[in-house]
Amino acid sequence: MRRYLKTNLMWFWLIGFTLCTVVYAGEEKPPDPLKVVFIAYENPDQLVDDVRPVVAYFKRELGLPVRHFVATDYSGVVEALRNKSADMGFMGPLQYVIAHQQAGAYPILGELYDGKSTYVSRIFVRRDSGIRRPADLQGRTVAFVDPISSSGFLYPLDIFKTRGLVSGEPEDYFKKIYFAGGDEQAIRAVYNGFVDAAGIGQYAERLLRPEERDDVVSIADSRAIPSHCVVVRKDLHRGTVAKLKQMLLELDDDEAGRKLLKYLYNVDGYIPVSHEDYREVEELARLHGFVK
Amino acid sequence: MREYLSWLLVLTLCFLTSDFHVFGHIVPAEKFHPVSESYRRMNFLLSLNPVPWDSVLGDVEVIMDGMAGLDPVEASDYRANVRSVMGALDQAPDRPAGPDERKAAAREIFRICTMTVAEALLVRLSEAEQQLDQYREATRSLEQARQLWQSFEHEVKSTDPAAHRMIGRAWLAMNSALGSPGVLGVGMVKSDVDLFRGEAARVRDYVQSNYGDDFRISYSGGLVPLPANSPTFDASRAVPVKLPPGSNINKQLPRPRQILNMAERGVDEGETTLIALGDMAFDSSMIFGEPARSLMISCNTCHNKSITNPNFTIPGLSAYPGGMDVSNSFFAPHANNGHFDALDIPDLRGIRFTAPYGRNGRFGSLREFVRNVIVNEFNGPEPDPVIMDGIIAYMVEFDFLPNPALDPDGSLNDRASAAARRGEKIFHRSFENMNGRSCADCHIPSSNFLDHKIHNIGSVEGPGPYSRDGAMDTPTLLGIKYTAPYFHDGSLDTLEQVTVWFDREYKLGLSARERDDLTAYVETVGDGIEAYEDTVHTLDAELEEFRFFLSTYEYLKQRGKRDLIGVTFRTIKNEIQAHKWDVQDGQHIPVLNQMAELMEEAWKANEQGEHLLVDDKVEAYRRLYAEHADKLI
Repeated sequence: MRRYLKTNLMWFWLIGFTLCTVVYAGEEKPPDPLKVVFIAYENPDQLVDDVRPVVAYFKRELGLPVRHFVATDYSGVVEALRNKSADMGFMGPLQYVIAHQQAGAYPILGELYDGKSTYVSRIFVRRDSGIRRPADLQGRTVAFVDPISSSGFLYPLDIFKTRGLVSGEPEDYFKKIYFAGGDEQAIRAVYNGFVDAAGIGQYAERLLRPEERDDVVSIADSRAIPSHCVVVRKDLHRGTVAKLKQMLLELDDDEAGRKLLKYLYNVDGYIPVSHEDYREVEELARLHGFVK
Repeated sequence: MREYLSWLLVLTLCFLTSDFHVFGHIVPAEKFHPVSESYRRMNFLLSLNPVPWDSVLGDVEVIMDGMAGLDPVEASDYRANVRSVMGALDQAPDRPAGPDERKAAAREIFRICTMTVAEALLVRLSEAEQQLDQYREATRSLEQARQLWQSFEHEVKSTDPAAHRMIGRAWLAMNSALGSPGVLGVGMVKSDVDLFRGEAARVRDYVQSNYGDDFRISYSGGLVPLPANSPTFDASRAVPVKLPPGSNINKQLPRPRQILNMAERGVDEGETTLIALGDMAFDSSMIFGEPARSLMISCNTCHNKSITNPNFTIPGLSAYPGGMDVSNSFFAPHANNGHFDALDIPDLRGIRFTAPYGRNGRFGSLREFVRNVIVNEFNGPEPDPVIMDGIIAYMVEFDFLPNPALDPDGSLNDRASAAARRGEKIFHRSFENMNGRSCADCHIPSSNFLDHKIHNIGSVEGPGPYSRDGAMDTPTLLGIKYTAPYFHDGSLDTLEQVTVWFDREYKLGLSARERDDLTAYVETVGDGIEAYEDTVHTLDAELEEFRFFLSTYEYLKQRGKRDLIGVTFRTIKNEIQAHKWDVQDGQHIPVLNQMAELMEEAWKANEQGEHLLVDDKVEAYRRLYAEHADKLI
């Protein structure tokens, strides 16, 4: 009996040790430093300087050294999360689901704008075009933003798909599809009459000058798109992740915090999210072959 | 979405330092490539008389530097050509260049720089073409080329719309032809070299034929790059006027507090018809002529809320923000005095007490002064006597800021600091070097710190030795703390500098402490309570103001002033259109659109003499506003 117990205790100890090792391997120590990657759309050098108050806040609240850098495209962000040169980044929904599949990254917080964690894409046309509904756009020209964009391609195209207008290749439905390269270029293409319509995020209208905005009008909204999210790499220390979540969630509690949110892409605040919130994006991405 | 938010972030960051959030009416500046920005500004400057050559050459440098980064040899040739033109202009330094020489030089510099910008665009386009296997580099080069196209786009859009659409689609097609690298290769789309080259050829041909070696200069109200060689160019089409890059006609935030005497006494402006009419005219670009009318410039643009607008800048016309040469060739060529004499925008508070008018006191009456502003500074039609009555009735309501440190006779009371009270004594001290006079002899405290006279204190540089062109109207010191910079030309930034200037110029022999005390005194006299409004939300106040404007309708109808009724409707409509995007909740924009539409319909009915229909539209507007007033903020 003693021998039996001894043998079993040894096994118990061995299994326990192995489990601890596995758990330990999956849950690293707190990062030193925490590496944060910001995505820049225009002036990366300017952004590096602009976010310094935010980085200082991270350092203070986490009690960790923090290093930040700027990527000029999402490949850079995903790659950095994958090879651990970044622990945390800011991403659009489609880029996130690609990052999830490619690097196992996961979202911790969704951004809030106007109190909402979702937004929509819209189909904009010129007010004087006579186009009143998506079905009027068959055989017409349309501008999207980028083939790898949730609000600038996937969701506005989905407006046509859910109405049964586009079933196969979108090129078969429209006369011509352009990718304008940016929200402003796309909305300006409509305003200037270069194309009949543009499929873009709802806020694109505001990229026109006030005196120009009356000339364009939205004819359809997409399904709700989950907002951009704060993403962490898959192995990041759980305690650090919890602290990051807490300190970002607390930012909208006071005026000083709200001021910092202005630097964080001008969000109103954050809301906890999980991968489940991005399932629909994932499905759409799968239809386009972006994820398996 | 992120692009919009990134733009919003830039705007927000601009104002974060000011420690307040922005909901006021701020129209962001148009964004340009630095070369395009300089080119468009330079064209504006070259079209002025006099041409501000130093500013022109500053912009030429930016254009040439941009070209030098792409093709140093070409840039060097272009630079040499500009130097040659400027050298010819400077050959007779003892006499200014005559009109023909000046115009010839301006045309030549415009021609050289147009070709330089076109060349830079073509080089960028070729770069993109050669980089098609490197997505990021090709995207950057293509974007640079497209941004350089903005140098010409406004004129092409106006005068050659078919080509504008053709080129616009070419940019879109080229961007699409670049393909996409995807995210780590996911969603990658290969570039389409043939498509790109075909579209690039369209742009290249158009730019070369119109802005290359065969560039033809056509005058169209100034030096503007018209695509005169395009087969679809329509010379009869006008180019809408634009202010040059670097201009800012946004009003200041926080907003100054306007003090209208009648309102302070509890009177509703809706019951003071003539004042409301004047308020409307003061806010209306319709009383001015072109180009101010199209640019939506009104009295209120410069004299915002009856004070000054320290932001107001137009390159070539302003020496600094908050000033302008009002006798210029842009706004009213017929009244241009031919020399640059930018003035500080004066504060109009208390204007009924501050005659004579104009910085040099050249107008005895406010009415004469205002008529000159309308007709000869901003090219307006001869104003109707009723509108003149209204403007004067409104302006004489402008009051000074209340100042608890001042007694009615203008002397300081116990609320003033010890330093200010010591300064008051210096202010009243006779100075031998001022012919025994004191500061208070001109800035008489009991007379709102004015003597209503004109003096030459030596602050004006005349045209030559012994010139008598140097006398200026004595300005009041009330409210002066909020109207920096100082002197007629804004040459001194602070009141301390003003004190130092007088001490130095008149050898007053003041000690450092006396200078500080004197400055403290002037600052105290120039202070006031609640100088600014405590909110930056403007829409509700604007809409309430439109109610006042429309309250004049019955009076104007009774007087048969149908033209002024039209001005009122158009002013309200234009102002709603300009301000509607300030609404905090975007769902109310349709109501504002409806209000603007009613004013437009009322205007049309008024033009067609359908008076009963006008009544209906006015009534409908009033009902709609009353129904929604509390939500429209």
